[in-house]
Amino acid sequence: MKTMKTIQLVTLVTLFIGLASCSNDDDNTTPLLEVESQNVSNLYAPQEGGQGQPISGQFTKFDFETGQTTTSETDWDIAFRGTSIIVNGGVSLGTTDEPERTGNAAAYITNGTMASITEVNTASLVQDAATGYAIPSGSGNGWYLYDSQAFLITPIAGKILVFKTRNGNYAKVEILSYYKDAPSNPDTTVDESRYFTFNYVYQPNESVTAF
Amino acid sequence: MKKVILIVALTLINICLFAQERTGNIKAAILDSTNSSLGFSSVVLMSSIDDSIVKGKITDENGIIIFENIPIGNYSLSISYIGYEKENIDNVIVKVGETTTLDKIVMTEKPQTLDEVIVTATRTVRQLSSLPLPAQIVPKKDILRSNSIRLSDILNEQTGLITVPDFGGGEGIQLQGLDSQYTLILVDGVPLVGRSAGTLDISRITVGNIKQIEIVKGASSSLYGSEALGGVINIITETPKNGFKGNLNYRLGTFNTNDISTDINYKKNKIGINTFLNKYSSNGYDLTENDNLNTVEPFSNYTMNTKVTYDFSEYTALFISGRYYAQIQDYFTSEDLKGESAINEWNTHLKLSHKYNEKWNSYFEFYATRYKADEFLDNNDGTRFSDDFFNQFLIRPEIRTTFNPNKKNSFIGGIGFNHETLDRTDFTTKPEFNSPYAYLQYDANPTENLNIIVGGRFDGHNKYKSQFSPKGAIRYNLSKKMALKGSVGYGFKAPDFRQLYFDFTNATVGYTILGYNAVATAIPQLEAQGQIANLMVPISDFKGELNPETSVSINIGADYKLSAALKFNINVFRNNINGLIDTRIIANKTNGQNIFSYYNVNEVYTQGLEFNTVWKPNSQFKISGGYQLLFAKDKEAESAFKNEEVFARENPSTPSFQLVKDDYFGLYNRSRHMANIKVFYDIPKWDLDTNIRATYRSKYGLLDSNGNGYLDTYDNFVDGYAIVDFAINKTLYKNYQMSFGIDNLLDFTDSQNISNIPGRIIYGKLNIQF
Repeated sequence: MKTMKTIQLVTLVTLFIGLASCSNDDDNTTPLLEVESQNVSNLYAPQEGGQGQPISGQFTKFDFETGQTTTSETDWDIAFRGTSIIVNGGVSLGTTDEPERTGNAAAYITNGTMASITEVNTASLVQDAATGYAIPSGSGNGWYLYDSQAFLITPIAGKILVFKTRNGNYAKVEILSYYKDAPSNPDTTVDESRYFTFNYVYQPNESVTAF
Repeated sequence: MKKVILIVALTLINICLFAQERTGNIKAAILDSTNSSLGFSSVVLMSSIDDSIVKGKITDENGIIIFENIPIGNYSLSISYIGYEKENIDNVIVKVGETTTLDKIVMTEKPQTLDEVIVTATRTVRQLSSLPLPAQIVPKKDILRSNSIRLSDILNEQTGLITVPDFGGGEGIQLQGLDSQYTLILVDGVPLVGRSAGTLDISRITVGNIKQIEIVKGASSSLYGSEALGGVINIITETPKNGFKGNLNYRLGTFNTNDISTDINYKKNKIGINTFLNKYSSNGYDLTENDNLNTVEPFSNYTMNTKVTYDFSEYTALFISGRYYAQIQDYFTSEDLKGESAINEWNTHLKLSHKYNEKWNSYFEFYATRYKADEFLDNNDGTRFSDDFFNQFLIRPEIRTTFNPNKKNSFIGGIGFNHETLDRTDFTTKPEFNSPYAYLQYDANPTENLNIIVGGRFDGHNKYKSQFSPKGAIRYNLSKKMALKGSVGYGFKAPDFRQLYFDFTNATVGYTILGYNAVATAIPQLEAQGQIANLMVPISDFKGELNPETSVSINIGADYKLSAALKFNINVFRNNINGLIDTRIIANKTNGQNIFSYYNVNEVYTQGLEFNTVWKPNSQFKISGGYQLLFAKDKEAESAFKNEEVFARENPSTPSFQLVKDDYFGLYNRSRHMANIKVFYDIPKWDLDTNIRATYRSKYGLLDSNGNGYLDTYDNFVDGYAIVDFAINKTLYKNYQMSFGIDNLLDFTDSQNISNIPGRIIYGKLNIQF
């Protein structure tokens, strides 16, 4: 009998402690949504012009919340055209066919791996401006290097693009390839360019800066 | 008792009388290999019965010796003279009352391998084996036996040296892991110019009239000033020798490569002349079949070199040398652009040396050289597409004096002046460099086993900061077998004209390169033309001067002689280079391209170990081996890896990961390991000699293939490779020599990465001496 009582006591105490700690955490909040790790393949971002000519053409817009491309004028976070990446926040650089920024998105580039960047540095966030995009363009300035001998665009290792979405959520992106089907050794004479493949992690919980 | 004395006395008298009656004479004439008499050689007469010495005498000034009143019998003569092999003549029979005459006893000179001398290390004649500095000699014999044609051929076979192809088609030498622009190349002690992109193309130099090549490693600016940052390579050419001599040399090999040269020498009494002519031509070769261009286009070049020496007296001598080099080569950049490139170079070198007395010597030297390179490209319709020229001129008077107060101490000092101009396409001005200099060196042997050298040089300059370059070296002989040596030196390389005055815009791609001094004028011009989108480095940053690149080099080593036949040598080196000049982007252009300029930035070091061994078990065999271990790194890159700032991908489309310190490989184009082994074998019986030589270079990186800006273990590397050369030489009738050989026996090529290794070369050579 004595043993039985001890077991009951231990069970009760355990249950109590367990419940108490649970209720402490869950006070006044809904459960957190799980962080989403996704891969996007062959996001096609065509452009016209370039090579000294004015660049034009529609941007391919992307929405982190749905994880899909979109044609919506407003419900997008980032958009691609050639090697340019813009955010739905700030002002236009003024190139032809550039969409109007309707949200409050921002971005910055940091050094690290997808695993090592665990916290958003909100002080580093910038928006597109009339003098340049938040993700700078040009070889070696932003996310890629251009090899002028092989005419090859290669994403720079260790560059993580951190975004604030139009709704105030955060995402981190690593671009893997600029060529269709992400060949391991791209050859510009065979492989089609302007097809983005990237990994991203989206924090669906608003204002949470940790991944 | 009296009886005994009488008998002894009688016997003695008897012997004397007997001897006097039964004697003869020996007369001999001693000559050297040119049939000139060899006066004052020592001759020892020995009895053939028991080898006991009968008499010793010195020949008179005409090389004649007479032994008189020698008891009849069988004798042998042993003749010796400094610098000559000992000569033994057996079976010299002395007959009663006769004079045995030996007409011609020809002495042969000793090979000079035992006491090789080097002038480059101290600018005085020094025995290589007693030097406190890491130095090396490539003798003529090795060059001849290897059947080398150009300087690059033979230098590639030396430990720690490798030629690296330049984008302009030249081959520069890498020494102790330092680039070609940090090694000074001298011919008879005066520098060659014409480094259009920093590299001095050493395939420009024929080895046909080279007496020996001297290589001194470690900074030597204390004697030679700018460029002698990594080391000095001095090519010593033949000087006139007594008598009339000449030779004709012809080598024909794969790719229709023809090398023909002749050397004519005359010297009698006071005047000596030596003339050398060489023509070298080739059809070139192509490593990549699928384009319309050759890897090396057809070319032909000529070298002419004449030297005159005149000895005014025993104390005063004049040396005049003139050299001319001309090359013409096809120059194609695509199927539509064809042209020609031409190089014209001349050097004049005048030296008057005077000996005041046993202690004081002076040299008055005057040197002038011009290097001109012109190239053009024409379009298919015959119109001119581009014209480029490069015209460099150097003039240098120098006076130097040596003072040897006694056998233990010597001084050398000199003053001189460099005047240099360059006229070149894409230059903002026609720049002029003026640089006075002075140097002093003290060489002391306080004890028999200790040698100390201290020296320093001051170089003033009208365009950059003056430099003072000190150096110190010490050698201590622990025993007859072992010696320790160490040296510390300062080296510098002045910014070259290109780094200061270049103003070049690539016509097809559109980027711009500006020299440091050109920035202040060129940027405002480009700005006015609306070509600049964004200035990244303010012009005010270019107000100062671009500084010389400097280095401190340390060499510590040991020589170990196990026996006369087996020698070892080890040297540990470190070169710390500061203010390495690199390019950076200073502005973005509106056409999307960038403007680059030069700046002092990097701190780089090269360190490693060199090991050499020679084994000569007998006079027929020589085996030598060498190895260099090298670490060449950029300190900034090292700290970037340490600070976890560097990332890589396995292939371009996999996620990136972080690199650690050990993943940093080092500078481009440096191999961790380089080695060579050479076997020379003589068969005097057949007048034949043969050799096989192998060199190895371990893997190295040419570029950052994964785009993180550094050469790391995940980049693509050029695989390590070995080159094996074989040669056989046969002498006929003493004056004719025929050779056959195969260079690159294994037919190694790497068309993608190595443009200066053409594959297997089979050749034949004929050499006639007259």
